[in-house]
Amino acid sequence: MSQARVILLIARNDFSYFFRTKWLMAVLLSLNLSDMLVVALVYNRMMTFNYFSYYVPAVIIMGLFAASMDTGRRIWLALREGVIQYELSLPVSTQGLVIAYLLAGGAAALVYAGSLMAIALIILPASAIWSAFLLLPFLFVLAMGLAGIAATLAAIASTHGEFFFAFQNVVQVTILALSTVYYPIEIVRNSLPPLLVTVAEENPLSLAAEAIRQYTFAGAPIEIGFLAKILVASIPFAIVGAVAYFGALRKLQINGKL
Amino acid sequence: MYAVETKNLTKRYGKTWALKNLDFTIDENEIMVLLGPNGSGKTTLLLILATVLKPTSGQAKVMGIDVSTQSTRVRQIMGITFQESRGFWRHKPADILRFHASVCGVPKTKRDTLIEHILKDLELWDARNKLFMHLSGGQAKRLEVAKVFVHRPKFAILDEPSSQVDLRGKRKIWAQILKMREEGSTILIATNEVREAEYLADRVTVLDKGKSVVCDTVRQLKDSIAGGDVVELQIDTSDAQNLKRALSQIEGTVKITNSSANQFKAHVSMAESWVPRMTDVCYRSKARILSIRVTEPSLDDVFLHFTGRTLRRTSDE
Repeated sequence: MSQARVILLIARNDFSYFFRTKWLMAVLLSLNLSDMLVVALVYNRMMTFNYFSYYVPAVIIMGLFAASMDTGRRIWLALREGVIQYELSLPVSTQGLVIAYLLAGGAAALVYAGSLMAIALIILPASAIWSAFLLLPFLFVLAMGLAGIAATLAAIASTHGEFFFAFQNVVQVTILALSTVYYPIEIVRNSLPPLLVTVAEENPLSLAAEAIRQYTFAGAPIEIGFLAKILVASIPFAIVGAVAYFGALRKLQINGKL
Repeated sequence: MYAVETKNLTKRYGKTWALKNLDFTIDENEIMVLLGPNGSGKTTLLLILATVLKPTSGQAKVMGIDVSTQSTRVRQIMGITFQESRGFWRHKPADILRFHASVCGVPKTKRDTLIEHILKDLELWDARNKLFMHLSGGQAKRLEVAKVFVHRPKFAILDEPSSQVDLRGKRKIWAQILKMREEGSTILIATNEVREAEYLADRVTVLDKGKSVVCDTVRQLKDSIAGGDVVELQIDTSDAQNLKRALSQIEGTVKITNSSANQFKAHVSMAESWVPRMTDVCYRSKARILSIRVTEPSLDDVFLHFTGRTLRRTSDE
């Protein structure tokens, strides 16, 4: 059997694991849907601008972020339960195993965020469907990058689950604070030094949220250059994550534990 | 070519030596049993051969393929049952086996039939819709073993395959292992259960403190213990002292005691040769044999003989 096929089978298995965790699904969906359908719609009537169009992309990106970060939880579980040793005995290279996890993380997050986007599309014009569809591959790469961050955190946390969740919260606060996911760039410019303003502008989460706002919700024509920026900003995360996770597996093979 | 060959294989965890310059071979289509107490290096050796661990130094080859430099190729011909069950918590047994079978390249047409057969054979069919995290210890262990039985790899590694399993389950697992060997698999089993080793092994390697102490067939290992067989005799004789002297001169006698005038206990080598000679001596001495009871040494005795310690005691340490 080809390596690509085994990688896809392992990725599909991990992908299904995300959706089998029913409590997680319930928490994420209740939070994201209440944000989209209650907060965004109610606040929209209290604001002087279209708050729905501003806030719902943030919820979608937040959903993508949370679902991607769950890759780390699954890796941590695999390390804790010894499943990772079972996977290291399967007919796939160690690099292939790393790729499978990142693919699964990217795919799970994409399906989850895509579902939120589909719900939002109910009240958007039909033309938004096409631009949403075009954004999906870029969101997938972003999700893989975020899964890479999660893999790095899981590798650092080793079998200490509490460390992983603490690291995840620190990363979440940092990466969202230094972004324009929840507030406009003007607010960032007024409150942060120029260097951090640049970080917020180039943050792949900011770019993705902005792309959804502009192209799907506002109906602006798609600029390939802008989408390419999402790729350029996301790929390093995926690479660092892959290297960190591969390093963790090597350490496991050499030391017998992390 | 050996199915498995290690040369100077060494594995160290910090300052602890798990394996020390181990030279070890398994022939093709053989069941090799690794016998040793906890901490003797059995699991480490299995994990290195399964490419889950990297050796510190030395070489290990499976079917001529180096486990360190060509690990993916080794994984393509090998399957392992871990000592502790490794399953996806939120998957059901049938899903776990289906995933394993598909990844290991079991043809789709055979997959479901094979999985159903193995689940039924290992009495997991009723638990097929339970989540892995809800299985009992014995069920989880049988599922772990089932992976290898579904896969039927060229080289199968089983780490304590019947631990936590009841006697009926053990028999079924052992029958499947023997069937796999008949079908052409080479099998390596680690255990500290003497009965399992005696039932399955073509050859036994006794490991102690990361080193191979001895390797041979069960028969040869038992026969290598001088005076290992114990023959208890009840003999009707008028001259016990002369008979005792005559019996002690039989080739293979190591020690002979008599607890009463007609009760003898002989510690002998190779009882199967000693007993006919003994009957001959008794016939010539006009002594009537009332009963004979032969007890051969267990592998625990073999371990004691070669290491100076019993398996049970060292496992508890």
